[in-house]
Amino acid sequence: MNLIEIRNVTKIYDLGDVKVNALRGINLEIKEGEILVIMGPSGSGKSTLLNLLGLLDKPTSGKIILAGKDVSSMNDNELAKMRNRFIGFIFQQFNLLPRMNAIENVELPMVYAGIPKKERTKRAKELLEKMGLENRMHHLPSQLSGGQQQRVAIARALANSPKLILADEPTGNLDSRSGDMIINILKELNKQGMTIVVVTHDSEIAKIGDRIVHIKDGKIHEIEVKE
Amino acid sequence: MIFEMLKSAIRSILSNKTRTFLSVLGITIGIAAVIAVVSLGEGAGSSIKKNISSLGSNILMIMPGKTAGKGRLAQAVGDVFTEEDADKLLAYSTSLDGVTPILTMQMNVQVGAVNTIANLVGAKSDIWSILQINVMEGRLTLPSDESKSVCVIGQKLKEDLFGDEPAIGKSISILTPAGKRTFTVVGVLEPAGQLLFFRPDEAVIIPFKTAKLRVFHTKKVSLILAKVREPELTQIAMQEIDSYFFKKFHSEDRYSIISQDYILQTLNESLTILNLVLGGIAGISLLVGGIGIMNIMLVSVIERTREIGIRKALGATRSSILLQFILEAVIVTLTGGIFGIVLGAIAGKIISRFINIPFILSPAVVLIATAISTAIGLFFGVFPAHKASKLNPVEALRYE
Repeated sequence: MNLIEIRNVTKIYDLGDVKVNALRGINLEIKEGEILVIMGPSGSGKSTLLNLLGLLDKPTSGKIILAGKDVSSMNDNELAKMRNRFIGFIFQQFNLLPRMNAIENVELPMVYAGIPKKERTKRAKELLEKMGLENRMHHLPSQLSGGQQQRVAIARALANSPKLILADEPTGNLDSRSGDMIINILKELNKQGMTIVVVTHDSEIAKIGDRIVHIKDGKIHEIEVKE
Repeated sequence: MIFEMLKSAIRSILSNKTRTFLSVLGITIGIAAVIAVVSLGEGAGSSIKKNISSLGSNILMIMPGKTAGKGRLAQAVGDVFTEEDADKLLAYSTSLDGVTPILTMQMNVQVGAVNTIANLVGAKSDIWSILQINVMEGRLTLPSDESKSVCVIGQKLKEDLFGDEPAIGKSISILTPAGKRTFTVVGVLEPAGQLLFFRPDEAVIIPFKTAKLRVFHTKKVSLILAKVREPELTQIAMQEIDSYFFKKFHSEDRYSIISQDYILQTLNESLTILNLVLGGIAGISLLVGGIGIMNIMLVSVIERTREIGIRKALGATRSSILLQFILEAVIVTLTGGIFGIVLGAIAGKIISRFINIPFILSPAVVLIATAISTAIGLFFGVFPAHKASKLNPVEALRYE
């Protein structure tokens, strides 16, 4: 079963004098429960594709169907709601809010989902415990190591039990030991049934993918399927 | 969710304390200025009105000259009325029950070595029933006093001239244009406020004929004072007086008829204009404070671009971002407003004590000040908040 269908998607950035064709007709299905890796050199359009998958941006033409719903025609508020309920983001820069401690950062997506305080705190604590951060719950991001911050970010991504995790170079800012830990967490989440899309140019990380999509010049160049 | 936003807004406000303090200060000063000005204005107004309205509304004053436009008295054109006019007017009108001609001028008054400036008023004994004031000591002037050198003095003038000593039976000297004249004090008036054209507290009142023959040496009079029988007849009385003098002068420009109501109304208009002007000046400082808030909010939006991007990625809608930033602006201005009310009230209280007027801080003013400071936050916060809410999440996340 397909969690996401991408049909003939193009994305053109209008920079005034020049028009940049970032994506030139992408067709891709992402199956529920798989790990899909998107690879490509910088400027290939892989980040653009990830932004479209994350509903942070809209395609110039074509359709994106997420969990059976056409998201191309949704308005800003509907997209915000979809991001909140269906998608969990993991960024290279962690992107935790600096003035909030670990629990509050994890609670944030649940705040926007309107979940009551008590329930939020309980779930945030559970998630942080699962990430091995039971002793770091009241720490600010600045008081945490890179690996710990990324684990808080993963806990936050899981807060509203999303269908899809989008990870953009999740180990890019980490040492290899912390990076391995993050990779293992992603694998573990996938085992529990989570669909995961990872953007990377690190071929080591790419090994976790069930399929590896190579993008070049805004087009799918090749899809590798692991045996 | 609103509670979370409030918490988040307070947290970000407190994260830059100096900046917040200065923004709050801008609003505090503005609101304090408005509160002080408005409460002092109300205090001054009530103090003046209290002085004036103790007088009945059925007194009319006929003055030379024309009242120009709304409530501004044109310069008196000189001596146009005579003593006869007063008598004729009483006979002509059906609605007046007391009329007196008045001669009045500021003059130097002496008792021994003490001397002061006082208002010398020459009036027939009808003036007492017209103005409804009485003596504290001694007696009022009587019709039989006409041409005699007797006087009734105001309570403050008595204190200035005699101190605690009794004044009844004593002599006072008045330096008139015609030379020095001596009068015997027969009465001291009870305290009274401003009455139409003079302050009885600081006046010397002598019989009309005495004033005419011994001091002013003229057939003309300064003005005429009349009392209407019933307050309801005031309009009719004014028409009668108008008709009498129009027949005499064939012009409306040589005389004007002024009622107590008219004076109150004029005064109210002047006070309202004064309050509006002063309040408006104070309001400008509020505007400046508001612009300061907007400036800081715009900087804050740029600084927090990435935060906005993250929040959007996590599911914040445009309206929740909008609300968060507006809340921050309103918290700052409302805090400034509350401090401003307290500061303005303290300043108003101190100043009112210095200039000796009652201090009036009406709940309505406090309520309006609170509403205005909230409105400033809303007004000057909306633009930056709107800017924040429409940030593109992709670009916001890329912002360093």
